[in-house]
Amino acid sequence: MGQAQDSAPDSVLAPDPARRLDNVREITDSALGYMSLEDLLSELLDRIRKGLEADTAAVLLLDEERGVLVARAARGLEEEVRQGVQVPLARGFAGRVAAEMRPIVIEDLSHADVVNPILRQKGIRSMLGVPLHVEGRVIGVMHVGTLHRRLFGEEDISVLQLAADRAALAIDNARLAEQRSVTEVMQRTLLPDALPEVPGLRFSAKYLPAGSGVRIGGDWYDVLQLDNGHLALVIGDVVGRGVLAASVMAEIRTALRAYLTEGHEPGQAMSLLNDLLVSMGRHRSATAALIELDLDNEELEAVSAGHLPVLLITPDGRADYLEQLQGMPLGISAGQEYASQAYSFPVGSALLLYTDGLIERRDESIEEGLGRLREAAEQPEATTGELADHVYRALLDEASLEDDIALLATVSVPLEDTLRLTLPASPSVLGTLRRTLGRWLSNHGVGSEDSFGITLAASEAAGNAIEHAYGAREASFTVVCERDDTGVQIVVQDTGSWREHRPYGRGRGLGIMRALVDGVELESTEQGTTVTLNKHVPRSAG
Amino acid sequence: MSQVEVRHLDGVPVARPRTDIDAANARLVRDELARCLGDAERLVLDLSETSYVDSAGIDMLFRLNELLHERRAALVLVIPQSSQLTRLAQIVALPSAMAIHETVEQALGASQHTGA
Repeated sequence: MGQAQDSAPDSVLAPDPARRLDNVREITDSALGYMSLEDLLSELLDRIRKGLEADTAAVLLLDEERGVLVARAARGLEEEVRQGVQVPLARGFAGRVAAEMRPIVIEDLSHADVVNPILRQKGIRSMLGVPLHVEGRVIGVMHVGTLHRRLFGEEDISVLQLAADRAALAIDNARLAEQRSVTEVMQRTLLPDALPEVPGLRFSAKYLPAGSGVRIGGDWYDVLQLDNGHLALVIGDVVGRGVLAASVMAEIRTALRAYLTEGHEPGQAMSLLNDLLVSMGRHRSATAALIELDLDNEELEAVSAGHLPVLLITPDGRADYLEQLQGMPLGISAGQEYASQAYSFPVGSALLLYTDGLIERRDESIEEGLGRLREAAEQPEATTGELADHVYRALLDEASLEDDIALLATVSVPLEDTLRLTLPASPSVLGTLRRTLGRWLSNHGVGSEDSFGITLAASEAAGNAIEHAYGAREASFTVVCERDDTGVQIVVQDTGSWREHRPYGRGRGLGIMRALVDGVELESTEQGTTVTLNKHVPRSAG
Repeated sequence: MSQVEVRHLDGVPVARPRTDIDAANARLVRDELARCLGDAERLVLDLSETSYVDSAGIDMLFRLNELLHERRAALVLVIPQSSQLTRLAQIVALPSAMAIHETVEQALGASQHTGA
């Protein structure tokens, strides 16, 4: 430090055009762009300190919420950062630079209003500070100081401003990137890992974050299997963008899951969710649509909280928007009621839930967007493959993503003649197994009495397979169902070890199976147990 | 969520399972039913909306019946004739152990003989 004082003249620096050019080159060096923000700020401060022959250089960033400038990086004044120096806006030297949004020169610090004690402790005599701004907003201040008295001139100001602009750009980019990556990580953790595999349904879904900036964050979809065998399909859009919207989305998604899992009807679940959000305070409004799908009875119930209408494609390929009773968006006023409406959902139907990013375009009305979506959904190939993909490709070929898009689609397809299921060895799958079998048998012309017997016998065999796997981690068993002209055969196979001390079909299981179907064959090897059930059910009996 | 919905009619608990009774929930159902008996002498289990009861569920019904007997109470089932469960009840000889009625009203009416 003493050196700088000795070598520098005690008067105003004469502008040196060659030096200025060097400084500009150093500051605009594109290599800086490849550094981390930390390294870039340090490097920039080093270069500016050298270029302006200053003893100290520092960057303070504005904390908008608290209205203070916080030291972020410093050279020659490292304590500033370590001690977390804070300067209130409009006060002190840096505070004035930020508040007035202009460069400020102090020739003699001893006569000036300075907040930061370190400047005086260090014996700083003269200072120059310039604002860091992004798109007209001040985000901080960059300043240099000298131990000897010096009057910073126009050249110094323009060089420092150049460095400040470079720093501001880097800081802004880093902030955007950080917010974006936090939001993206949240989105990815919050969307379902995998869509459920439900025989007779073909799910497809898409989530596309907005193409630029931090506009991503508020859209979500969800699918869950309920205890009553129904499926809940959810789509929603939280008002707002960025990390805040993503975290609100997480709250809403989880709360709705909880209400539905508790067994609340769709309208009631939406109403409870709305009250919860209102009670939690501001920043929590969203639109959402909820469908509860009952495959056994081929019907659905729909509820909307201010969301765009769900599209229903009938087996003949016609697409119509569900004419839902529109409920209020969520989180605005408590005590709202959400009425659900029932629609039939026969095999061959399809559903499409989406958020506004899919259909909204600049210079186009919502009706036009809805019209384009309906057309896309009515194309013959729409429901033969992945509906979500088809619709997305049809609507978003050239459009840039200005908003998030979430899409959830499901197509109801006939169950195949041979039904193959691989199920985790947990009793909780028994209900799903019986319902799936019931639908398959009904699709294959088996009457309710026979269907009951076959289904319960298969459920008993499955119960035994689950018991054989007891204690095994991640065990599974398979169920293969076949139908021919004379009857139905169901093979339940596990890989659990046979327990000699425990008779097969502990309790009443085996007796029930034998009474309900015509043939029960058991085969046990070291590899596991196979139960084959046969029931005589002639085709076209009905 | 609770496994059964319970209401009280004439002081008699009338329970209706929310789902099938099987190996996944038989134990929970039994515990909830045993708890809701209170001082009553009968517990009506309404199976008219229930599609399936598997062997674990049947075992549970027999055990619950014994448990209620020890508490000087009786388990009364409601299974309409049209229900597929009627056949299952015959297969496992449920009627030999407990009363089975067509409707909740009949199950409650049958319980009134203890009063007068």
